[in-house]
Amino acid sequence: MDALSKLPDAMDELLDGFMSHAVVGDTTVGLTQYIFWMFVAIALLFVVMFVFKKKQAQSLVPQGFFVNGMEYLVEFTRDDMCKSILGDTWKKHFPFIAALFFFILFNNIVGIIPGCHPGTGTMGVTAALALVSFVYFIAVGIKRLGVLGYLKSFAPKGLPLPMTIMVWIIELFSTFLRLITLAVRLFCNMFAGHVVMGTFAILASLFFEPLLQSFSVAALGGAAVSVFWVLILIVIYLVEILVAVIQAYVFTLLSAVYIQLVEEEE
Amino acid sequence: MGVIGYGLGVIGAGIGIGLAAYGATTSMARQPEVQGRLFTVFILGSAFVEALALIGFVVTLIAS
Repeated sequence: MDALSKLPDAMDELLDGFMSHAVVGDTTVGLTQYIFWMFVAIALLFVVMFVFKKKQAQSLVPQGFFVNGMEYLVEFTRDDMCKSILGDTWKKHFPFIAALFFFILFNNIVGIIPGCHPGTGTMGVTAALALVSFVYFIAVGIKRLGVLGYLKSFAPKGLPLPMTIMVWIIELFSTFLRLITLAVRLFCNMFAGHVVMGTFAILASLFFEPLLQSFSVAALGGAAVSVFWVLILIVIYLVEILVAVIQAYVFTLLSAVYIQLVEEEE
Repeated sequence: MGVIGYGLGVIGAGIGIGLAAYGATTSMARQPEVQGRLFTVFILGSAFVEALALIGFVVTLIAS
């Protein structure tokens, strides 16, 4: 197949497009395309929040699709992620959890729009987010138990000394592993999803191209195949919308679980 | 070569998601009233497993 032989070159070009390029300024001082779209997402988030607050204050009963939808989202964050996991301490951590959830959600959703990039599609942003969550739960632990108490709380009480040392080292290792897994999971999901979508878009355009140049039966056959690629692309697009929400949910939920783990330490 | 390695790696993730779906459907059939709660747990578990496959995918792309 002629079109398939062009795929590797097109893939290289696609992957090159996913690497960080400066769109404003240069790479030392300036914005890469991911950070640019991250700022767009933040601006969108601010606008949505202010409009929501204003519209909500207009009447006591929530009215309309927008206000009700946002209230549902906030309530979902509160009930599903905070109350069900953190229990009685949910009120203290709700602002942090909700901020994390909405930031990631808006970044992912902005990235889904064709032509935009997700802010979370680069390792730098997800690593920073994971670091924020990591520092937060360690700070909560230190505040509750003190530095020594928090370090002691890694290993459960009542074990023989050699076991305690072993468990302590393993737990310390797994705590730092949380930082890496949080960052890599979000990054890989957004990156891989967009690469797959791009691949099918390229396939569709490569198979359709001969028909534009000259009309023949073979070119018509290629165009028919490209319809199939477009159908797959649409299905993957829908899955990606689901993934955008689920990954925001998973990241936030895991942060809540980590906070809960230090909150319940004696 | 890297693509074959990725295919081998995905077998594990496929089995993992299959097991999660199996567990979710059987427990939903036994106790339909916990369906909502189970679905979240199922999605969470699948997300963990899927992340491994995706790491493989990204590493393949970077290595090739």
